[in-house]
Amino acid sequence: MNKTATHIIGARVLHALALAAFVAFALFPLFWLLKVSLTPDDLMYGEGVRLWPSRVTLDHYGAVLRHSQFPLFFRNSLIVSAATGLLATAAASAAGYAFSRFRFRGKAWVVGVMLISQMFPLVIIVAPIFRLLAPLGLTNSLTGLVLVYTAFNTPFAAFLMQSFFEAIPKDLEEAAMMDGATRFQALRRVILPLTLPGLAATGGFVFTAAWSELLFSLMLNSSTAVSTFPAGLLGFVSKFSVDFGQMMAAGVLALLPVGAFFLLIQRYLVQGLTAGAVKG
Amino acid sequence: MMLKRLLLTLTLLLPAVTARAEELRLVEVLSSPERTETLKRLVTGFEARHPGTHVEITSLAWGSAFEKLATMVAAGDIPDVVEMPDRWLSLYAGNGQLESLEPYLARWPETQGLNDRALTVARSVADTAYMLPYGFYLRALYYNKAVFRQAGIAEPPKTLEELRADAARIAQLPGKSGYCLRGGPGGLNGWVMFGASIAGGNAFFHEDGTSTLNDPGWVAGTSWLIDLYQKGLAPKDSVNWGFNEVVAGFYTGACAMVDQDPDALIALKARMKAEDFGVAPWPKGPNGKAYPTLGFAGWSIFKRSTHKDLAWDLVVALNDPAGNLAWNQQTGALPIYTAAAHDPLYAGAIYQGWFAELADPDVVPTLMPTYLPGFAYFADSLVVRSSQQALLGQISPTTMNKQWAAYLTKARRKQAEGVKP
Amino acid sequence: MSRALALKLEPYFYAAPSLLLIAAIMLVPLVTGLSYAFHDLILLDPLSGDFVGLDHFREMLDDDGFWTALRNTVVWTAVSVALQFTFGLILALLLNRPFPGRGLVQALVFLPWAVPGFLSGLTWAWLFNPVIGPLPHWLHGLGLLATPENILSDPYLALWGPIAANVWWGIPFFAITLLAALQSIPKDIYEAAAMDGAGPLLRFRRVTLPLLAPTIAITVMLRTVWVANFAELIVVMTKGGPADATQILSSYIFTLAFQRLDFGYASAVAAVLLLLLLAYAAAVMVLRHAMTERA
Repeated sequence: MNKTATHIIGARVLHALALAAFVAFALFPLFWLLKVSLTPDDLMYGEGVRLWPSRVTLDHYGAVLRHSQFPLFFRNSLIVSAATGLLATAAASAAGYAFSRFRFRGKAWVVGVMLISQMFPLVIIVAPIFRLLAPLGLTNSLTGLVLVYTAFNTPFAAFLMQSFFEAIPKDLEEAAMMDGATRFQALRRVILPLTLPGLAATGGFVFTAAWSELLFSLMLNSSTAVSTFPAGLLGFVSKFSVDFGQMMAAGVLALLPVGAFFLLIQRYLVQGLTAGAVKG
Repeated sequence: MMLKRLLLTLTLLLPAVTARAEELRLVEVLSSPERTETLKRLVTGFEARHPGTHVEITSLAWGSAFEKLATMVAAGDIPDVVEMPDRWLSLYAGNGQLESLEPYLARWPETQGLNDRALTVARSVADTAYMLPYGFYLRALYYNKAVFRQAGIAEPPKTLEELRADAARIAQLPGKSGYCLRGGPGGLNGWVMFGASIAGGNAFFHEDGTSTLNDPGWVAGTSWLIDLYQKGLAPKDSVNWGFNEVVAGFYTGACAMVDQDPDALIALKARMKAEDFGVAPWPKGPNGKAYPTLGFAGWSIFKRSTHKDLAWDLVVALNDPAGNLAWNQQTGALPIYTAAAHDPLYAGAIYQGWFAELADPDVVPTLMPTYLPGFAYFADSLVVRSSQQALLGQISPTTMNKQWAAYLTKARRKQAEGVKP
Repeated sequence: MSRALALKLEPYFYAAPSLLLIAAIMLVPLVTGLSYAFHDLILLDPLSGDFVGLDHFREMLDDDGFWTALRNTVVWTAVSVALQFTFGLILALLLNRPFPGRGLVQALVFLPWAVPGFLSGLTWAWLFNPVIGPLPHWLHGLGLLATPENILSDPYLALWGPIAANVWWGIPFFAITLLAALQSIPKDIYEAAAMDGAGPLLRFRRVTLPLLAPTIAITVMLRTVWVANFAELIVVMTKGGPADATQILSSYIFTLAFQRLDFGYASAVAAVLLLLLLAYAAAVMVLRHAMTERA
């Protein structure tokens, strides 16, 4: 009896320690990011290795919010990521629904096409995309970025949505359709409300991906009026100095919305994927 | 659905856009917030003098400016005026992208005020002025006076042997190193300075067009620098250091000497006390001469610009004596006008190091062969990789110099084939 | 339109928006991009563009930079994915059973995924710099490093820097997917196995692993392909150096395209990378098919 009890307590302690290690590992770099953003410039190198600076300053945050273009970049990122999230989720839901509910000729091809789109380094389509969008006036614009990001994220979002749809029995639409609704109406009125967590999770996933994208934001847009925050962050590295304090402060600020958003939706990601996994 | 609506809106907007007054596009590439402010001020003056004209300024971050500009231009998104660093001149001029400024220079009253060097460098590609320089960047030796005092060294080194000896003494101090080596991007100038000074000459090519970098003198030069690193007189990390790391290494006192241009002052003045650092002329080599490198940057007009005359007016606004002085207060470059050397801006003690260099007959400012096709790739990729391999002992200095010589000889031959129409 | 035809075309209508967008923005440019591989295309050189057939591919065989990058790509991908998977699985197992505060802990350990790649690269580069970060000193204290140096400057150790950042960033992806898969295993199977006297380790091997296998296969494959193409961390932390020690194929392609401006050769290398990854994906699919056939 005693041995089992010790075992159980021992297992619990080990469990807790392991989790604590994971949490520490996950949070430490973020903590460091925060620490650098609060370190005054003159102590940046001198006290670099300390776990917490001897003097804390909010100057970097002030500079970023008041004297830099950062609020503009933030706003641009918000617009682009939100728009991408909405569009990609919408398109992906339709495609995911199709994969889940139908068997149609060419389904394998469509899936294959989506897979291939995830398999090559995006660097080789920077120039062709630029050439494609420039005559349409979509370079140096937020709209162009939204289009590009939506295309990039739809495949994976479609697979996610497919998995969420798999969790919902087909009989539900069939029942609605037998009552006279078209499939689309059945989808809108019956199925979609049930996949709300899935939609939220997919939307959040796409939002996070669009928020972080650097290469195309840098190459397609040049004017500061339409730069997103990753490109803007690189601007803190000028030829003359790297303003680490401000850069990290901007980084922390940029992490807040996406971090918060992600914290909220991650639960649904697990939930939705679980349900889908049963079928798929 | 959305795309269709978008296209429709675009076609409606287009006439409106073209119906507007003249719009010029100006791109700066060595951007910093201060430079952008100065540029805006100069541009406002220009717009006031040319009512109905609007100048749109695009500031590219230097770290990605090369690829961004290349992508834009290749896809047909051509600005009117661009800031042109020396390293890119052969690429754009050699590919027929830039407008020749000769006709404009011929009728410009200020042309006679330009010093000889300015016109020479402007014409470095195909003997035609494809750019108008705004200033020169001459390397000198920055040294950390505080660390020197600590090591008991009174004066900055005057010869390379002294530099090495000083570095060795400073390396004895705990946590300090002698020389801030730039082993990463942008390090070519350092290699050339040490190489030329030890070789005793700064010619890059023999009479027959083959590169001199293969010669024993240059090999001895690069070996000297590699040996400095391998003996621990430069920080171990410096094999990967670029501009920012080198400057940071200097102002944190991690290493006590660095070769840099006047524009490094901008970063240093903000972070070091004036009495803690000084600028000395570049040390002389065994033959009594020093070969600091001379870089330059300026303004160019794209051939496909649709407002070339107006673009020239903009270049004049940025680069006439008044504009040039205002601009160089931000860039820290040395002036292009002969008269400017007497301006109070350059009278300060810290600039004396550079003017001493310019006045000394044994100091030979060395222009890098930026007119060679493919120079940008040479400097930014090939040299970085091979020099890192040499510093780490993976290849010998002889091999490294051979690679460089082979590339440059090939480039020289390509250059002889001429500029594309 | 007849009802029958409408019904038959229905799935295509649903899939159309995605398909059109992907075709226009990704596939057409991909084909264009790959076609560059057969031409001599130097950006900004108006006279380049001649068809050169397989010249670039022949050039590749002799190119040290290519082979180094290929080798590094394999190491980078294999090690990153292996570590991400292992730790992701452990984390998923730890989170599988409910405990007080699980919601919060789960949210916290998944947070790294929300951090933009280049930002985590910058932060980790700082952590590894002995002047401004603690890691070299800790590693030295633990006896893993002879002196507290910056591993990013050491050609033998440099790749570990981006790998560390990649693992930190990628664990949540595996953890989320594997947790979902774990939670979909019906509890009764475990109970049945426990009643047969199987201990936790045996239960894991005989019950959990086989049921997880399909998910593992797909997730690992997707992630491998993705990591092989992921150059952002390396470009930000080491720029491929020192001396190409951390250059992987996709960062090499970036260098070729945007520093040497040699789009032809860059596209050829990209084509080879794509082929290798397609072959890998096909192999995984075949394996998975064979495994599920047997089960």
